[in-house]
Amino acid sequence: MTEVGMRRSSLSTMAFTSVLLFICSTYSCYAQAPLLMWTSEGSNMPHLAQPTAGQTVSGGQLASYLKSALSIAPHSMLLFLQDQLSMEDFTMYGGVFGNKQDSAFLNVESALQTSSNPLVLPALDWSASHSILELLQGELGIPAVQIDPSTLKEIKLNTAQPSLLAVHLPYTAGDQTKELLLKNDAIMGEVLDMFKSLDVPYTAVYTGLKPSRVIEDTPVMAGHSVGRSLLQAPPESPVKPPLVVNNTAGQPCILLWADTLLASYSGNQVDLARDIFNGSADVTAGSVCNETLSRLVLNYRNVLNFRSLRLIFSMRKIFFPVSARDWSVMEQVVLEYDGQRAIFNASGGIYSPAEYSFHCQSVSSAQSPLLVPRSATDNATMWTLSFTDFQIQGFSVTGEDFSYASDCAGFFTPGIWMGLLTSLLMVFILTYGLHMIMQVRTMDRFDDPKGPAISVPQSE
Amino acid sequence: MNGHAILYTGVTLAFWSTILIVGICYTIFDLGFRFDVAWFLTETSPFMWANLGIGLAISLSVVGAAWGIYITGSSIIGGGVKAPRIKTKNLVSIIFCEAVAIYGIIMAIVISNLAENFSGTTPETIGAKNYQAGYSMFGAGLTVGFSNLFCGICVGIVGSGAALADAQNASLFVKILIVEIFGSAIGLFGVIVAILQASRFLKSMFIYISSTLALLNMSCCGQKLNVCFENVYFEYI
Repeated sequence: MTEVGMRRSSLSTMAFTSVLLFICSTYSCYAQAPLLMWTSEGSNMPHLAQPTAGQTVSGGQLASYLKSALSIAPHSMLLFLQDQLSMEDFTMYGGVFGNKQDSAFLNVESALQTSSNPLVLPALDWSASHSILELLQGELGIPAVQIDPSTLKEIKLNTAQPSLLAVHLPYTAGDQTKELLLKNDAIMGEVLDMFKSLDVPYTAVYTGLKPSRVIEDTPVMAGHSVGRSLLQAPPESPVKPPLVVNNTAGQPCILLWADTLLASYSGNQVDLARDIFNGSADVTAGSVCNETLSRLVLNYRNVLNFRSLRLIFSMRKIFFPVSARDWSVMEQVVLEYDGQRAIFNASGGIYSPAEYSFHCQSVSSAQSPLLVPRSATDNATMWTLSFTDFQIQGFSVTGEDFSYASDCAGFFTPGIWMGLLTSLLMVFILTYGLHMIMQVRTMDRFDDPKGPAISVPQSE
Repeated sequence: MNGHAILYTGVTLAFWSTILIVGICYTIFDLGFRFDVAWFLTETSPFMWANLGIGLAISLSVVGAAWGIYITGSSIIGGGVKAPRIKTKNLVSIIFCEAVAIYGIIMAIVISNLAENFSGTTPETIGAKNYQAGYSMFGAGLTVGFSNLFCGICVGIVGSGAALADAQNASLFVKILIVEIFGSAIGLFGVIVAILQASRFLKSMFIYISSTLALLNMSCCGQKLNVCFENVYFEYI
């Protein structure tokens, strides 16, 4: 007989444990192992309250269960400790779908049935089941004795004293699980039969060191609804916050957001919006904002074979007397690359009242262009800019959120207006004509249906 | 109220209430800046305005002519039942109405010949001259169209009166014809102004030609009335 000190664990079990610890530290884990406790036929076991459905039994609760059980139950403890055990093993291999003959736990079941008041803890916290041996040793006050079936015959038990026998049962997940469980069941059956033949009352515990299956539970974060959700809904793309430029007083004064900022030069294209929204301050070095001028400067290094590239949006706040309000007009979009400049005029299309932000789905120099090269000979003719889902605010910025977005697309397009005008005009003409035609009446003033018919002389 | 009145009051009510509600929405949402007449005038294509002008020139003139002929024609035919001698002489009223349609088609052709292609997609690149051309053609078409419309109606009603008076008393016709001449002149005024609008360089020549024609017409008919018109209608017949 061997004394049992520290149990040796192999590398794989250590790996499993560490993974389990890591998973269970980040998420709440359904990492539980079941525990079955029963006594031999004829022995008493106190009626212990079964845990409520779904409740995970902690180590402290298990200790209280054991204490109350061992107050009456026999003190000869048999601990069948399987490497891994979960409720799912019982479900899969326990013949629960009407095929009892295929069950891998026949001996356990018969033992449970013959016992009075067996205790079934379906969900025992895995830290408690991991340390069940130490718990029992503490409860009984004696060290455990590791036995295996071959050495079973030589055991001489002193029933007057409490004893703790631990049987180690292996477990592997995979194809051989069923055979292994059958073998374990056979071992358990052997041990129980031996005890029955010896006529020794015992208390048996069957549990696993670790759960064989761990179900991760996604954390319920505040803000997420616990209602039903579409399983097939696509994952949301993370929304990036707008780019903020602070003025000298530390207050935000320019906001920019864009899905993509594509710039093409001689066949090469780069998306300038890729890395600028993480909040680094040197992207916007050189930006200026005051009461009437806002200039947003975006600095890039080593793009499109240029050592340095600067994209500059310059906006001005202008008061137009006819509308009697301030307007924020983007005058130019400038590209400075390696000492050269390409200037696009943008005042034709990129404007909004100064209190609002400007949004446009497509700001481009190619199709329906809002950005037009300043002159036909400017360097801008070699560039093609295309900004998608572009939103910018240069004035009246009060926080890190945009104001109401004045969109570049109105409700009616010019084409719709032209069509409406001509169609309504023609409908009006049609209406007027119909009205007139419906008013035509034959003169019936001198009609006399009873009088003689009018006679027209045939002679000339 | 008859059906027509109900229909028209309903349409008017719907129109004005739409305008009112849209205006209120613009105001309370502080989106008045989006109501932009300049945007409308610069974003709509000058081609639309030019072609609307051409279309309205011919169509309104034809409406005027048709209305006039319908009025005069009914009277001539009605009066001719009892006094068949009026039918030939009163055709001149029909001719005056027809002249109005001829003015319309001539102007439509002249204006459409002035329309040319332009390159430019944004208001800046289209340029002020193209917008002026579009609006001028629209204005010219409207001018000649509406002038001829009312001229045609006027000549028609007067011609109808002339036919019926002629049926009663043959000497009345010539006097009423003078009224018809004045009515016809207003159509000519419309043509002149439309030409001025559409092509400013042609204005001096046209003023000269058309005023000469008008004076000739009136003087001829004033002095030798019967000879003038009998020559005219002999040609036609």
